[in-house]
Amino acid sequence: MENDPSTKKIDLGYRPLFRGPMSIFASVKLTIVLLTICAATILLGAWCPQEATVGQEKVIEQFGEEMAMNLHNWGITDIFHTPFFLLLIGLLSMNMVVGSVEKVFPKLRLLKLPLQFFGPEQIAKMPYSKTFAVGASPAETLEKLQIKLQQRGFKTVVHGNQLASESGKIGRWAPTITHIGLLTLLLGVTITSWTGFSGFKPVRLGDDLTFQDSEHSKKWIGKLPTWKVHVDATRREDYESGEAKQWYSDLSVVDEKGKVLDRQQISVNTPLSYQGVDVYQSSWGLDQIVIAFNGKERTMDLRPMGKLYAAFMPLDPETIFIMSVRNQTMPMKLFAKRPEWEAPKLIAEIAQGKSVNLGSVTFKYVKAVPVTGLQYKSDPGLPITYVAFGFIMVGVMLAAIPFRHAYVSVSKDGSESGSTVTIGGRSKKAKVGFERMINKIVDSIQTELPPPVVAADPELLTTETLALAPATTIKE
Amino acid sequence: MSDFTLALTNTAGVSSVASFWVFVASNGVKKWHDKMLKAAGVVMAVGFVALTLAIVARGFEAQRFPLANLYESLMWFAWATMGGYLALSTAYGIRQLGWLAALLAATMFLYGSWLPVSQQTITPLVPALVSYWRQIHVPPLIVSYAMFFLSGLSSLIQLYHARKFTSLGLAIGTIILACTAIGLGTFTTVDTKWLQLLFVGGSVGGTVAAWFTLKQTKGEPNTKQAETYDDVSYRAIAIGFPLLTIGIITGGLWANHAWGTYWSWDPKESMALVTWLSYAAYIHLRIHHEMNAEKLSLVSVAGLLLTLLTYLGFNSLGFGGLHSYGKFK
Ligand code: HEM
Repeated sequence: MENDPSTKKIDLGYRPLFRGPMSIFASVKLTIVLLTICAATILLGAWCPQEATVGQEKVIEQFGEEMAMNLHNWGITDIFHTPFFLLLIGLLSMNMVVGSVEKVFPKLRLLKLPLQFFGPEQIAKMPYSKTFAVGASPAETLEKLQIKLQQRGFKTVVHGNQLASESGKIGRWAPTITHIGLLTLLLGVTITSWTGFSGFKPVRLGDDLTFQDSEHSKKWIGKLPTWKVHVDATRREDYESGEAKQWYSDLSVVDEKGKVLDRQQISVNTPLSYQGVDVYQSSWGLDQIVIAFNGKERTMDLRPMGKLYAAFMPLDPETIFIMSVRNQTMPMKLFAKRPEWEAPKLIAEIAQGKSVNLGSVTFKYVKAVPVTGLQYKSDPGLPITYVAFGFIMVGVMLAAIPFRHAYVSVSKDGSESGSTVTIGGRSKKAKVGFERMINKIVDSIQTELPPPVVAADPELLTTETLALAPATTIKE
Repeated sequence: MSDFTLALTNTAGVSSVASFWVFVASNGVKKWHDKMLKAAGVVMAVGFVALTLAIVARGFEAQRFPLANLYESLMWFAWATMGGYLALSTAYGIRQLGWLAALLAATMFLYGSWLPVSQQTITPLVPALVSYWRQIHVPPLIVSYAMFFLSGLSSLIQLYHARKFTSLGLAIGTIILACTAIGLGTFTTVDTKWLQLLFVGGSVGGTVAAWFTLKQTKGEPNTKQAETYDDVSYRAIAIGFPLLTIGIITGGLWANHAWGTYWSWDPKESMALVTWLSYAAYIHLRIHHEMNAEKLSLVSVAGLLLTLLTYLGFNSLGFGGLHSYGKFK
């Protein structure tokens, strides 16, 4: 392709903006190296449970104490916060900025270049070309070819006996749009990390969610809200089988003086939004159970056990009371367990607010206290990030469109009304499709136009014209 | 599952196996070669239509979008593989990719049918997954994975036509090893640590070995065919990459909508990003670096292995996360 005239290096009259040591960030080789290292690092982080999301216990559970300790010391258990990873992201960002400005955006100037015309010898040197003869005049042949190319979405220009055409020019925008998107993403994420905050808090029914212990980056210039969120009600809705279908919480936004500013019900996928802060329903459970012995109330912690929640209360060294509840409304089941029994025995089923007499004591099921898992965040860079997502999606879709050039040169051959056609071109993407298209055009032209007249004058019947009669592939 | 859906699914499964054998047999019978290739394509098309109907019927039965567990996802994958092949073969007139595509679809059917019944039946959804976002987020991902597989398979045929038999053998061996690890991880109780080692060790070792044996050529390369399959491989990635991008981004939008964060370094999420970055590297190698075609074919095979790891490896080789089908807590 060295001497392919349609790809000759063109001076775009562009002078590099980044010089000196910065210029190494313009390297696409560096991009490939960084993308690969980045992928490998993230792979490692996907393989090893991350302390930041699942806690250290999970790592120990999976690898055992010693290995977990090693992984921790190497930074693999929290790989996305290691200086190494941050450095990698930093380098990739620099590379993205410099690379985009130096190598990607300037290529847009290519779009402004007018289509060039080429003669038969030059076309024959292109990655794909064909030469054949037809029994029609150059003008007629060229016109037919022009129509055929146009039907296939090519924009054509004709100059004398030469034609130049292109299609899929919009595909040329792909790198620029993708890279604008990537840079915008970088901006959005930076804004959020400097001014945003987030966190998770399990809040019991009747308690408040405040933002004091939220997480944010070290370099932070944001501000936390002074209002808080009160949990007025929270419940779980089940499928008939008893599996959770949806969780709901009724929340009020309350200011410092206790004034209610807003009220909203949230559920999974429908958050509360107030002054740029979003509060999401992310989990749900029963946290405590309140019971009473002879009127004396006692609160016990519940543990999730499959679809149920249970609390355990040793009565004496041998006997344990087990209280199990499924949700806030259904009755509580009271079991007792003793070593000599194979399974716990059901003693009573008690509806909320009701009591039973167990020998000399009255046992009352007062209530179950639900806890709603609230995830919150403020993400000021989000609109910019969303714009970036849009650009990236459009950009990569455009990249699937091949940008193609096709050139034709027609000349009169020796006969009365025949011409020799050279057609060729290039398509960096979907080459085979391009070849097939050109072949189809050539085939249909050859059937629609009369065949070349070669025997009119025996003098003209040279080996050269004969060779031109059938379509010959010069270079593929 | 109703008998109707089952019958359609079985038709699709049997078609994929049948078309595989017709493709294979066509290479043995010179006289009928072209006719048989055409017939195999038709059988595949029948399977594709049956599977399309089966998926739609399942959706009606379940009264929800039929993509909620591993079994359904495998059906989608087989569907995309068959559809992707039919589209590519129509556009490029290639047929030899057919038997690999049929084999891939058949493997997915088999894998799906061997899954425990609990994964196959139509179950209600956990709260986190009840959202219309799911039908926007998951299908592009599955289709992109299928396209990446087709790309990797096309690269194998490219290596064959380039007469790089040693590299080809190593690449095939590596893929078989990786699939074995996944099979063992799904259906046996072999310690997942060994399987992870088998998958990752095999993939890295195999690909590197294939890379260094690229210099060995036996016989006269069929350059024209090699170029065609190279182009098909790239085309499949050119379609898969935007789909993967859309899948990841819509996943982010959904997560942000549901949980308030579009990125949380969940293992499956991270793996999709790893795949994305790797194919971004491929695109840069191709577009800007103009790396040689055989090397690129190995990059595409490595991409196939990564896709396999992302799609099936993470569940079967013992990685957790929110996305592990059915194991959501
Ligand atoms: C970080 C992730 C990156 C992604 C996902 C990405 C994505 C893309 C995409 C989709 C294209 C279009 C390819 C096509 O036309 O088919 C492209 C082109 C390109 N990218 Fe990137 N890119 C990334 C980073 C970078 C960086 C850091 C550089 C800096 C040097 C860079 C330099 C280029 C160049 C030079 C082109 C080709 C432009 C052309 O040939 O006209 N990319 N990139």
